[in-house]
Amino acid sequence: MENSNKLNQFTSRFATTEIDALLPMADMARTFLAENDFPTTRVERFKYTRLTKLANAQFDTNNALAVADFRKHQICSDAIAIYIVNGIVHLPESTLPAGLTIDMLSSANSLPTSSIKDVFAGMNVLYAQSGVCVHVAKNTVLDSVIEIVHVCTGAYAGFTRHHVSVGEHAQAKVVLTYASDATNDCFSHVHTSIEVGKQAHVNVEKVQLESSEMFSFTDEEIWQDADSVFQINTLTLNGSLVRNDLHIQVQGEHAETHLNGMYMLNGQQHVANYSTVDHQVANCESHELYKGIMDDKSTSVFNGKVFVRKDAQKTNAYQSNANVLISEDSSVNSKPELEIYADDVKCSHGSTTGQLDDDAIFYLRARGLSEKSAKQLMLTAFMSDVLDKITIPEVKAKVFKTINKRFNWELEL
Amino acid sequence: MAGYTENELAQDLENQEYKFGFVTDIESDTVPIGLNEDIIRLISEKKEEPEWLLEYRLKAFAIWKEMTEPEWAHVHYTKPDFQAIAYYSAPKQTKKYESWDDVDPEMKETMKKLGISMEEQQRLTGVAVDFVMDSVSVATSFKEKLGELGVIFCSFSDAVQNHPDLVKKYMGSVVPMTDNFYAALNAAVFTDGSFCYIPKGVRCPMELSTYFRINAGGTGQFERTLVVADEGSYVSYLEGCTAPQRDENQLHAAVVELIAMDHAEIKYSTVQNWYPGDKEGKGGVFNFVTKRGMCNAHAKISWTQVETGSAVTWKYPSCILKGDYAIGEFYSVAVTNNYQQADTGTKMIHLGKNTKSTIISKGISAGKSQNSYRGLVQINKSAQNARNFSQCDSLLMTDECGAHTFPYIECKNPTAKIEHEATTSKIGEDQLFYCMQRGISEEKAISLIVNGYCKEVLNQLPMEFAVEAQKLLAISLEGSVG
Repeated sequence: MENSNKLNQFTSRFATTEIDALLPMADMARTFLAENDFPTTRVERFKYTRLTKLANAQFDTNNALAVADFRKHQICSDAIAIYIVNGIVHLPESTLPAGLTIDMLSSANSLPTSSIKDVFAGMNVLYAQSGVCVHVAKNTVLDSVIEIVHVCTGAYAGFTRHHVSVGEHAQAKVVLTYASDATNDCFSHVHTSIEVGKQAHVNVEKVQLESSEMFSFTDEEIWQDADSVFQINTLTLNGSLVRNDLHIQVQGEHAETHLNGMYMLNGQQHVANYSTVDHQVANCESHELYKGIMDDKSTSVFNGKVFVRKDAQKTNAYQSNANVLISEDSSVNSKPELEIYADDVKCSHGSTTGQLDDDAIFYLRARGLSEKSAKQLMLTAFMSDVLDKITIPEVKAKVFKTINKRFNWELEL
Repeated sequence: MAGYTENELAQDLENQEYKFGFVTDIESDTVPIGLNEDIIRLISEKKEEPEWLLEYRLKAFAIWKEMTEPEWAHVHYTKPDFQAIAYYSAPKQTKKYESWDDVDPEMKETMKKLGISMEEQQRLTGVAVDFVMDSVSVATSFKEKLGELGVIFCSFSDAVQNHPDLVKKYMGSVVPMTDNFYAALNAAVFTDGSFCYIPKGVRCPMELSTYFRINAGGTGQFERTLVVADEGSYVSYLEGCTAPQRDENQLHAAVVELIAMDHAEIKYSTVQNWYPGDKEGKGGVFNFVTKRGMCNAHAKISWTQVETGSAVTWKYPSCILKGDYAIGEFYSVAVTNNYQQADTGTKMIHLGKNTKSTIISKGISAGKSQNSYRGLVQINKSAQNARNFSQCDSLLMTDECGAHTFPYIECKNPTAKIEHEATTSKIGEDQLFYCMQRGISEEKAISLIVNGYCKEVLNQLPMEFAVEAQKLLAISLEGSVG
């Protein structure tokens, strides 16, 4: 029962949620927590993620630090910005464009029932402190980007929950920024549920640039209706332990799903990208592309699952994961999964791990490039197909700037 | 497959019954059902085993009692009642035969039905057959010829009696008794199996073959195979299985250990066609097998398997590439039909420098079956310049079956190159149309396409096995077009 004590120890610091819309899910979450311990590497979902450091870390949940310059973390200057600073929501002050409403999550009447896949998802239901509800009315095409900026400081630990619904025929771009000023251990778990209506287009850019002391867990649950297009780019650029969990339920025919991810890690960073695309109906397609560069002693996990149900005939699902190791001590764990119950489908996945090709580097050096430039060029080329998927120029610029700073490179857009 | 005509094939297909479903009426010597220390002592005593082996069994039993059955595989079945199994069954006449003529005519008949008429095999193919009926070896041929080269090929019990040093040295060195639930169970209660030793520098002149066969109702079969290829030697080992039709589930928990010393090569081929259960998914064999090979420097182990039978298969022939420049290969065709479930694949553990592994897995699911590939490619820190290529394809024949892929890829060395690729699809309608347009019936066209799809794997099989495997594929998939 030592583990179970660990779980209690971990949860005891959090106050029970005051968000009414979460109550219908509370029993389910409580049961899950009662039946499961704090995960060890013996739990399949955490096979490659060691949580000992997290379990033993000291947090200060009462810490309501005033953060003066949290606005500096905003990436898109013209965005309709929402700030979540140590769990405290700052709604946009300007007037919102027609068709867009943003409210506190506590004002929500109901929320879609989410699945609880691990103890952290369960804790989020029970302990979510705050969050926002974003609604884009049908037929609304938003020109401005909605940016939700998460900032953690001090020794913050807490759960946040958002719900985004995009109505029929509407279009929206959302940037989820994760940043921190922390120099102490920090823990944040953010759950975002997104309902994509019929013929709606939703594009999410998720930029993770937290400090190297950050335990950052994010969980996105998406429901896609017919003829909709959903794209999410997960860009992991920093953090101590980053876990991304994407769960996409394709519930309407002719929907299109794009999942892209890039991760560039150094030091002792760990990133785990879990994704499930659940094809429930026929005639849909999904594309998944994750690429990573690993330096120093960093480790990465990719676990992508394509699930095709019996009725989801004519599904086309593609999944690809490529990794480059540029240091002796880095490591990669990749588990691309296919679980298919329909026969008239085309599904494939590929996974590669390797290093930079010596011949190619020699070729570049023979043409007068320094070794460093040659490697940069090769790595940029390797990443380019994911970077090209970024639709918002400011996000792309921020990604390049961060990479240059961290790896001491001189990449250009 | 001697004397197997097209008419017979047609008849089999018509009946849709398990082709090899018959029970040979031979008196069996069976110990009481159940599992406890006394039973293990009784088995050991019946087999006149030395003290160290009994101790080994008892130790394994103690370990097994502490273990729980694994549940991670993508299969669902009623767990076997380990106390309802008879752990030892041997044909009554255990005396060794001097010549083929001495063999019980009824047993000869069994072999004939199995399609391995000994005379034929000896004459035509030069294959030495160590025929295992239930748990005791009945006849061994070509022993003398192999003896001249110093090749030891005998039943496991004989090896325990005659070559105890070799057995003691290598048994459990690749699959320790603590390895998993079924390996521990096997270590405690194994009844017989095959043992093979190829001395230094010897290239075994013939393919060594063992036909296992589960007989006598209510007995599980716990085989143990140990193949040791000494430095620079080569051996090709064939294993094929059929089992009589039976209602209750039968458990088969075998352990196969291969040891390839420096520069040695072992080629291990399996055709598995145990009773898969009837059309309603009733009965059938549970096939929970642990197979693993140890590759030393410059050695090569190649696993080839054609899996068409068993109700539930849980099998991962693996290679530990311990030495530098070691090579591991895995070629597999797994066919599931009706309610069959297969969770199979391989593990390639790269430890040595410049080690190479290739995985080619072809899954075919039909009926209401579930077919999973589960594999691990692990490149450890020491495995400089390791190379892996994996390809896992699945073919779906109906809209009620499932095909799944669960590959684990772990890389701890930056100089490694790993490629993994998997596809899932059904038989292309245009391919079918093309064949049928040229006057080939739908059934034949499917068989043609499936054989082409599996060709990469079937090509790895020794000639006579490849023929049998193709027939098996055709029979297994008969009438399964969705």
